[in-house]
Amino acid sequence: MRNLQVTVAAAILLIAVAIGSWIMPGAAQTAAPKSTVAKTPATNPPLFVDVTRAAGIDFHLNCGSKEKLYIVETQCGGAAAFDYDNDGWMDILLIDGSSIEDYKAGKCHPPRLYHNNHDGTFTDVSAKSGLNFCGWGYGVAIGDYDNDGWEDVYITGFHGSALYHNNHDGTFTDVTAKAGVANAGEWGTSAAFGDYDNDGYLDLVVADYVDVDMNNLPPFGVGPFCQYRGIPVNCGPRGLKGARDRLYHNNGDGTFTDVTEKLNIDPDRYYGLGVLWLDYDKDGCLDLYVANDSSPSLLYHNNCKGGFTEVGAEAGVAYSSDGHEQAGMGIDSADYDRDGWPDIVKTNFSDDTKNLYHNDHNGEFTDLAGPAGIAAIGYPYLGFGVKFFDFDNDGWPDIFMANGHVDAQVEGQSFGVGYAERPFLFHNLKNGKFEEIGEKSGPALAKKYIGRAALTADFWNRGRQDILFTNMDGSPVLLRNEVPSPGHWVRIKTIGSKSNRDGFGAKVEITAEGSTRYAEVRAGSSFESSNDPRVHFGLGAATRVDAIVIRWPSGQIDKLGPEAADQELVVREGSGVIERKH
Amino acid sequence: MTIGAITKVALMMATSLCFLWLSAPAQAQSQAQAQTRQQLLQEIESGQFREAVLLGQQAVSRWPRDAQFRHYLGLAYFESDDLKQAQEQLTRARELNPEDSATHYDLALVLLSERDYAGATGELEAAIKLDPSNALAHMLLGRAYLNSNRSLQGIEEFKTTLKLDPAIKLGHYHLGFAYFSLGRNDEAISEYKEELRRSGESAIAVDALGHALLAGGKYEAAVTYLRRGTELDAPNPDVWYDLGKALALAGRSAQAEPALRKAADLNPKDPGPHYQLARVLEKLGKTNEAQKERERFAELKKAQPATAGMATGRDQ
Repeated sequence: MRNLQVTVAAAILLIAVAIGSWIMPGAAQTAAPKSTVAKTPATNPPLFVDVTRAAGIDFHLNCGSKEKLYIVETQCGGAAAFDYDNDGWMDILLIDGSSIEDYKAGKCHPPRLYHNNHDGTFTDVSAKSGLNFCGWGYGVAIGDYDNDGWEDVYITGFHGSALYHNNHDGTFTDVTAKAGVANAGEWGTSAAFGDYDNDGYLDLVVADYVDVDMNNLPPFGVGPFCQYRGIPVNCGPRGLKGARDRLYHNNGDGTFTDVTEKLNIDPDRYYGLGVLWLDYDKDGCLDLYVANDSSPSLLYHNNCKGGFTEVGAEAGVAYSSDGHEQAGMGIDSADYDRDGWPDIVKTNFSDDTKNLYHNDHNGEFTDLAGPAGIAAIGYPYLGFGVKFFDFDNDGWPDIFMANGHVDAQVEGQSFGVGYAERPFLFHNLKNGKFEEIGEKSGPALAKKYIGRAALTADFWNRGRQDILFTNMDGSPVLLRNEVPSPGHWVRIKTIGSKSNRDGFGAKVEITAEGSTRYAEVRAGSSFESSNDPRVHFGLGAATRVDAIVIRWPSGQIDKLGPEAADQELVVREGSGVIERKH
Repeated sequence: MTIGAITKVALMMATSLCFLWLSAPAQAQSQAQAQTRQQLLQEIESGQFREAVLLGQQAVSRWPRDAQFRHYLGLAYFESDDLKQAQEQLTRARELNPEDSATHYDLALVLLSERDYAGATGELEAAIKLDPSNALAHMLLGRAYLNSNRSLQGIEEFKTTLKLDPAIKLGHYHLGFAYFSLGRNDEAISEYKEELRRSGESAIAVDALGHALLAGGKYEAAVTYLRRGTELDAPNPDVWYDLGKALALAGRSAQAEPALRKAADLNPKDPGPHYQLARVLEKLGKTNEAQKERERFAELKKAQPATAGMATGRDQ
């Protein structure tokens, strides 16, 4: 298989031997070669506008030193969009990190909860929320684990995570110890709720990263595992002991049982960073995909009998298309080509292509990032948070990707790789290809950030999907969707009755203008993120939805419709539409 | 006339005589030096490197401070694959005459061959400072930059190379390679095509073009070039692998299988062809064979040495 450096060396030898000469060639001046790629000027109106400050988001993400001398300082910034007070509007939770000094001193950097004021602004309600996580926070998962109709919060952290029960009054109570999901001694990154055994209660998976001791961190730049392109950087993850991902089964009584060993989850202790529940073979049982850093990613096929078989290599999602380990970070799933099957997008390190795993409908995936137009442009970028969403409501899932390197030291080098990097907005061209239009989408997307978590949500209930992503050592970025003349839309909020209350894992198919679109209900995906769980479909020119079919995890199938476009449908399992919000 | 004056005249005459006495052998010596220089150059140019080394050694022994003899001897060693001696002589030549661009350039060639890219970069920069018109030096500096992870500087050097000599062999290839290393696929493909147009067919450019087309998802076009690549460069496992992968992704699994098997045969330690083969065989319904290939892939993966740094498509 090709290796860039070896090829370069061979090419140099070729020149040296074949052409090498001490006789100087004569100079010949000619015009400069023409550029082969036309640059499109950013003259269009902005598609997304940064409204972070105007919206009242004043959070600053702490994540250790600016120099990123240690691996613990490189991955912070979890974020969630969820409706904690059931007022029908997406609120925002931002997870803070810490610093080595503060962590050791026990100084807290609690998360910040922002209440949506329904008028484009948010109010910081952290102080009274009871979300008092004290440690070094990383990611967040949202789910109604006790089916009481109120969203609960799980925060991952360094050597300890925490579950907060929603008290229905704007406050939360730490129930970690009782629930048995402390993830003690592990460095949790991404986490997600999903009901893998269809018992009606959400289970919890936590990606655990590296096993390091805060009092004995590997020294910066020392040794072969602390170099990037010949310059000293923070060490790892290679060369460090991995941490084992954890799967917690919900017992239905407010407690969980750690079934990691029993179900043989992550026995090799790979460096876990991204988690995703999806039903890739549509057998009605949630499968689990885990993006691992610098090690094979893992796809656990659910055998519908309470167990999993790891099939990543067979399915073609463990490695790059050449069989290389990749540095997997964020993952998400959607049916981007509208063939009725969930596909996967995954971000990786710089000097590598990101993956667009197309579902081949037979248990296998093919990485089509190259022909889709995602591979080449992403090559020098280090991707973290990633999310399918239909920003222009044309009915075809687009992709947002937050980028930013982990090594501050790359800045100023001539690598062609930056520390801060602009995010990507890939527009779905409806033919299996995407066009990256970030730079043309306004100044907010043309700017460079050190991106980490990324989520999408309709924060203003306008039928448009907005973006929130976090930015290391800085402010998060809230991007309001200002796409001119977007298509029609419909949004579905699922309420499980026999199934889990959130309806996570339900499959929704809608038919409009003769074509069918497929989506699965989830909140957890991307990187250290939890998204708006309401299923959003762009409808393009269609002004109505002819049919809606919801396949619930319980096996219940609800057939609904027709319904008018441009509304949110609240659907209760077995009861149909119980509310329409325009 | 005073004694002083006589003495002065006498002294002047004596000095002149002495000079004449001394200059005759010096002229002869200079003539011998020139003849040796000419002979040494001829031997190098005619490919008689062993003879050149012997003659160069004699010359250096006789005229140790002659930078050019050191330079030529270094070249003779380089062409004889004695890189250590070549580096030693060229380094000495450079010390004796630091203003000679050619010496810096040739020393850089040696250092590149030793994969001392940082050292080569310094020599090439010095050579170009003394002679900015040397297109080859710019091209080699571009490659040295690229191998030192200074990709953006590499691209600038390749552009300068092509400005100085638009017809230089491999100039567009190297610029294409630099673009490809930064994920600028379309620009890479364009440069590779330009290389083929200007310099005629070469295995290295054909392979690179096929590889870039494959990476860009242009499978059928990739197959065309990669097939030709296997004809031009049959012992190269990479081109067989790429051909097999392109065929597989183009949905031509039956044709992909033999190409991938050839890649596996040519590079038995590479897990990659077995990974692809497993997928192809699965598509062909050869489940048992696919499983064997997966197992072989896993075995070879385990046998690979631990790699430092992050997992990327590039060595650190």
